[in-house]
Amino acid sequence: MMKLQYKFRWFLLLGILAACSAASAQEVILVANKGLQVTAISAADLRAIFLGTKTRFSDGSHAVPVTLKGGPVHEVFLRHYIGQSPDEFRAQWRKTVFTGQGAVLKAFDSESALLQYVAATPGALGYVSRFSPSDDVKPLPTSK
Amino acid sequence: MQKPTPRRKLSLLFPVCLVCVFAGSVRAQNFHGIQFHGFANQAFLYSSDFNYLTMQSNSGSWRWTDGAISATDSLTDSFRLGAQIHMYQLGELGGANLQLDWATGDYKVNDSFGFRAGKVKTVEGLFNDSQEVDASFLWILLPQSTYPVDNQSFTLSHLGGDVYGYIPLGKRSGTPHYTAYIGYNSLDENGGYVKQLADDGLAFKEPPGGKTYGRDVRWAAAMRGLTAGCSAIVMGLDGSAPAGIPQVPSFLVNTEYAQFTKGKFYLAGEFRSTPPAKALTLELKTFPVPDDYRAWYAMGSYRLASKLHVGTYYSHYLNKSISTPTPAKYSKDWVLSARYDFNPYFYGKIESHFLHGTGLGYYGTDNPNGLKPNSDILAAKIGFSF
Repeated sequence: MMKLQYKFRWFLLLGILAACSAASAQEVILVANKGLQVTAISAADLRAIFLGTKTRFSDGSHAVPVTLKGGPVHEVFLRHYIGQSPDEFRAQWRKTVFTGQGAVLKAFDSESALLQYVAATPGALGYVSRFSPSDDVKPLPTSK
Repeated sequence: MQKPTPRRKLSLLFPVCLVCVFAGSVRAQNFHGIQFHGFANQAFLYSSDFNYLTMQSNSGSWRWTDGAISATDSLTDSFRLGAQIHMYQLGELGGANLQLDWATGDYKVNDSFGFRAGKVKTVEGLFNDSQEVDASFLWILLPQSTYPVDNQSFTLSHLGGDVYGYIPLGKRSGTPHYTAYIGYNSLDENGGYVKQLADDGLAFKEPPGGKTYGRDVRWAAAMRGLTAGCSAIVMGLDGSAPAGIPQVPSFLVNTEYAQFTKGKFYLAGEFRSTPPAKALTLELKTFPVPDDYRAWYAMGSYRLASKLHVGTYYSHYLNKSISTPTPAKYSKDWVLSARYDFNPYFYGKIESHFLHGTGLGYYGTDNPNGLKPNSDILAAKIGFSF
């Protein structure tokens, strides 16, 4: 009986950890300017746009990716969608800037400032932990 | 040891001034859409048996400083202008002179085709165009077999134009990126090649230069994190010196490379070679250039913690034009390295080298007592980037 209880505790702990992990992945919502015609973005395109190797959406319109300056949402977005840590992401952009191959992405201190910019800028694409319909942006799901 | 001139002292102060000016507001500056970025770093080098890279490193030397400032403005969605000035002091090389690292206008028609013109960074191998961007990698010294720091300003950029882009092949085939270029580049008058030639009695009125062209194709595989590619660059040199007109006919440098990133692991390797047919013609006499080399390296690194990054590499250089198996024929370097990021702007690095052979990085005038075949080197560096 004791052994069963012990095993149950371990399963419970693993379950909580798995739930936390899933929750952290779901905390990030991609948001885009409402004028954007595309209704979804592939994981590969999203990664390429945020790493600067792709500058247009699949419909040919210009992409304006923006980021948060830091914090857990920024970290979860980079790890889950871009596959990099904040330090790796920064190093990648340093290389791009100092080799003359691009300009650093616009970054915001707060989600509200990011949402305002995305709402006002055609082609803008960012991420937040939550948003409401009154934010004047649209969610952009990822496709395979 | 050569005493620093006032100009050289000033050059050492340059990055310190940069830090002081920007320490209060270290984030990248943005004025009316123009982005300003910069970096500065200072290194210390100690070598156990000889003086390395023109530094008096056998006694411990601080004479390695780098700094740059760039400005970039995206005038439209497709057109960007930018420039970067760079200054370096590496032992007796470089100095207070500010160099134009790059200055380009870049027009991107779409993701498959764009072109840039001006002074453009030369895309070759994994690190050529970012050799001086110390903040972007773990190592203090990149593998010297392929990226010799005493001559980096010669290969860093060219005056001319590039076309670039990528070809979408579908989700399962990955994405090939291409760059092709043509232009002109010249030796750095304060760089290693000019110093070597001057030490041999060939001083130049102007640093020799010549036409260059090349291409790079790199394939970002469908498997995330894997990139493989090849570069080819053709270059030659024409110059004028009191002793005559030196000329090196065009020669080809081939590079093949691959890198793989998975989570906290990074692996990379590169192979570079030149053909043996190079010769220096001076008026009517022709001298063979002893530089038929094969160079490669393999490196790996691991991120122990978010701020701590460690790694190792082996760098191998072999000059096949030297028939006798002397230490000058090769350079084999085992390296251990660590980097700690104090915050997003400041970092520190430490690195040890176990170097066999004298084929690279040594200058006879800095080692009047001759060279021993092996040396250990300890390097440390602090850097700042915004």
